[in-house]
Amino acid sequence: MFFQQLINGLMLGSTYSLIAIGYTLVLGLLQMINLAHGDVFMVGAFLGLTFAYLGIPLYLSLILAMVGAGIMGILVERFCFRPLKKAHFLGPLVSTIAFGILLQNVGTQIWGSEPSRYPQTAEIAQFHLGPVVVSSIQIIILITSLALMAGLDMFIRRTRMGRAMRATSEGQVNASLLGVDPDRVISFTFFSSGALAGVAGVLTALVYLQITPFIGIRQGLIGIVAMVIGGLGNVRGAMIAGLLLGIIEVMNDAYFTAGYRDIIIFGIFFIFIVFKPEGLFGAFKKET
Amino acid sequence: MERKMRNWMALPICVFFLALFISVPSSAQTIAGPEIRIGAALCISGHGANVGKREAIGTQAAIDVINAEGGVYGVPLKLYLEDTASHPGEAVTVVRKLTGDHKVLAIVGPHYSSEAEATFPLGNLLKIVQICVASSKPGLSAANRPYAFRNTLTEDKIGDAVVKEFKKRYNIKKVAIIADIKDAVSKSVGTGVLPAAYKANGIEVITGDSPVTFLTNDAQFMAQITKLKAMNPDGIGMGALGPDALNIITEARRQGMKQPFMSTAPIMEGNIAEIGGKAVEGTLSGTIWHMSVATPASKKFIEAYQKRQKTMYTSEYTEMPDYYPVNAYDAVFMIVEAIKKKRVTNKPGDLAADRAKIMEYLTTLRDFKGVASRGFNEVGDGIKDVIVFEIKGGQWGPVK
Repeated sequence: MFFQQLINGLMLGSTYSLIAIGYTLVLGLLQMINLAHGDVFMVGAFLGLTFAYLGIPLYLSLILAMVGAGIMGILVERFCFRPLKKAHFLGPLVSTIAFGILLQNVGTQIWGSEPSRYPQTAEIAQFHLGPVVVSSIQIIILITSLALMAGLDMFIRRTRMGRAMRATSEGQVNASLLGVDPDRVISFTFFSSGALAGVAGVLTALVYLQITPFIGIRQGLIGIVAMVIGGLGNVRGAMIAGLLLGIIEVMNDAYFTAGYRDIIIFGIFFIFIVFKPEGLFGAFKKET
Repeated sequence: MERKMRNWMALPICVFFLALFISVPSSAQTIAGPEIRIGAALCISGHGANVGKREAIGTQAAIDVINAEGGVYGVPLKLYLEDTASHPGEAVTVVRKLTGDHKVLAIVGPHYSSEAEATFPLGNLLKIVQICVASSKPGLSAANRPYAFRNTLTEDKIGDAVVKEFKKRYNIKKVAIIADIKDAVSKSVGTGVLPAAYKANGIEVITGDSPVTFLTNDAQFMAQITKLKAMNPDGIGMGALGPDALNIITEARRQGMKQPFMSTAPIMEGNIAEIGGKAVEGTLSGTIWHMSVATPASKKFIEAYQKRQKTMYTSEYTEMPDYYPVNAYDAVFMIVEAIKKKRVTNKPGDLAADRAKIMEYLTTLRDFKGVASRGFNEVGDGIKDVIVFEIKGGQWGPVK
């Protein structure tokens, strides 16, 4: 049963990782936290749901939800960050909270506040791997999220755009002196951040049996916890911390009682903030 | 001799007058008017607002039906509805107001056990009947004789009936229990009602006194189901609300579990049967009344409820009646039966006597024929039939 629970934990954790990466990308670039991120994730989940009801195949709805949530990410940047460049440093933070509430309420108007359910998909195939049973949905979720995380890691390290992102996060002025357009890089980063949240949304809608317009609140908080544990601005750290949190949550439900779940997760968060603020894998530091 | 003769004649004369007295045809009976006042102390606002509004509609629907048939001996009933705000303190004020200001004959309500704990002793002090429509905390009516009544059935009676059917239908020998530890009713079903019912029916409870746990509105149940699956029970008992029960069963089927599930009345709220598909087929539950009960009395209630709902507290949460408004509806009919049988005069001067007559009648009422009510037992709690339901073809239907 332990290995089965480990698979459950990885599945849940992979969606947390995708959300945490979105936070950490923006934080690494702007040293600001995007508190509308959880709600961008929610929009992704509902886009996936809507496409599924329209009969669009899963891979296509994943791509469409990615693009949709990515565009939502760009909108967050345009409305909450760009106009407030010279404002007080808390300005963007507050405006992202407002944007998130806006998304929740628009979501409630469109999809209602009652839980929406993913349509009954075709028979789910079960695969037996030794003592562990894995379903087709579980395989899709694990492969998609792990592939995306690996792809993003490669992208940041190997491509021109990835290099530009790293350069911009080290210093916008220097980067622009070297021929990088910071605005373009920032927009692109918000797009990627939103797109990952969108994928996480669709995958969550598959794992979770129901979603509401308020699902982004807890998921968003867990994403922040994962970001802190992984080290602020550390993309690989966020991936691993997300997976760890998923496993912790599942193991708690499996071996303890559900009532301790959030006490443990947010207790860990508190311990890290106080005693190890750089996280497990070291926080990103801006070079001066 | 002459004196003996007189005595002998006195007997038939007495019998004659007595017979005359008893056999007064009911049409000749009268009651003072202009109106017969029925009180209702229900939670129209606060956390019980949705169910309170449904109960208010149920109460008014009963009055509609009675008035459409000419009221009581031609005098119409009138509802005096006051809002307890789901709060014990407010409920006390409301009961005082209904008794003292509105001078009602009896009160339908309140809803919650916490409200009834405050208003039942007051009812005894003011000498007025209250018929609570939801409270199921043990011993509450027994502690407040003689004016406190509860037209409800506790979950343990329902649990036992469902467990019996579950055992028979699926040949259950050992079960596992999963319980919501955040919701009070679900917790008591999962940790108290079901374990006791299983033990009483000779079924082994694998989870013992510590069921597999989750919290209300949890969005995924992967860990819990993996755990339940490893126990390999013959069936699973749930202490859960409708939406969570649906997700639990769906996840179980996803992980390849084929065992049957059962629970009590709360899972029948919501649309688990309609949207659960193949996964939930064969799930058992039990309750005292459900929309699918097709007796003439039940149909008449649904019709009256839906007619009244069009003009009273219109909202999506009041469209479908559940068993709470049925309890309120039946309570009004019980009060009216008491008024008729006990010859309540409804004269202002007789108010205290009239209220006492209603109490006396309800105390011995055991064979009432309501939509889902049979009267009250010796401690003032409802007598009701439990109907065991199963999901069949995407709908809850009574088990034959």
